[in-house]
Amino acid sequence: MIWLLAYRPFIDPLDLHDAWFFLLLPLAFFVSMAYKAVRVPTMAGYWKQVLWMSAQIVLGMVGLGAAFYIVIEWLVPMLAPVPL
Amino acid sequence: MHSVVGRTPSYDLPVPRADSGHAGTTFDPIAGLLALVLPGLGHAVQRRYRRAACICVGVLGLYFGGLLIGGLSVVDLRSPRTETRISFLAQAFVGPLAFATDRLHQTRFKTLTPGQRGSPPTLAPPGANRLEVSLGKVNEIGVLYTVLAGMLNFIVFLDALLPSVREEESDTPRTSGALDAVLSKGSSS
Repeated sequence: MIWLLAYRPFIDPLDLHDAWFFLLLPLAFFVSMAYKAVRVPTMAGYWKQVLWMSAQIVLGMVGLGAAFYIVIEWLVPMLAPVPL
Repeated sequence: MHSVVGRTPSYDLPVPRADSGHAGTTFDPIAGLLALVLPGLGHAVQRRYRRAACICVGVLGLYFGGLLIGGLSVVDLRSPRTETRISFLAQAFVGPLAFATDRLHQTRFKTLTPGQRGSPPTLAPPGANRLEVSLGKVNEIGVLYTVLAGMLNFIVFLDALLPSVREEESDTPRTSGALDAVLSKGSSS
C-alpha cells in the first residue's frame, strides 16, 4: 500500500500486473458504447445492443484464450514432443 | 445507386429519399472536422445529441482509461520503443487531446537514461516530476486502450463526415413548420 502514497492518477501506472485480465471488461464496454452509437439505426434498444456486444467480445476473448491454451499446452506437445 | 454524396446536409430536416427506400449519404466536412477536434462534437452539430454523448463517453472513457492504467508513458511520440511510437499514429485520431498529452509528457515528465533515443531539449530536469514508466502488460493494455480510442474516433469521423440520412437520425423532433401546424390544426378540429 506504500506505493499509493506517491501515486499520481493518469501520470503513474496502476499496479495491476496480477489482475490485468479484468481490464478486458471496461475495454469491451467502452468499445461497444462508441461503436454501437455509430452503428445502430435508432437509439431505441441501444443499451441492450451495447451489453450484447460487450458480452460477445468478452466471450470471444475467453474462447480464443481457451483455444490457444489447448493448442499450446496439449496439441503442440502431442504433435511435436520435445526429445529428452 | 442512391448515394447523394456532395449534397450539403440540412441540419433542420435530414430528409430521406422517399422514392428509393434506401438511406442516402450526405457530405458534411464541418462535422467531420469537429469530430476530430473532440469525439462526438461532429454528431452534436448534426443534432444527434444522444449519439454524440455516447460517442464522447465511449472514446474518452477508453482514452482516459488507458492513461489511468498505463500512465502518461503510453502516449509517447518520441519513445525509444518502436511500437509505442507507431501507436501514436492511431492515438492521434483522438484529436488535439492526444497531442496535448504527448506535449505534456515530453515537456514535463519525460525522463531519459543516457544513450537513449529522445529529445534532450524537452527533457524534464533531473529529480523534478519523475515519471514512473509503465512496463509489461499494464503498459500494453494502456496503449491498447488509447489506440482503440483513436481507431474508434476514426470510425466516428467517417460517420460524421458522411452521415447516412435516415428518418430517425435526428434526436430532435422533426417538424416542418407550416405543414405541421396545418396538420395539427386539422386533427384537433
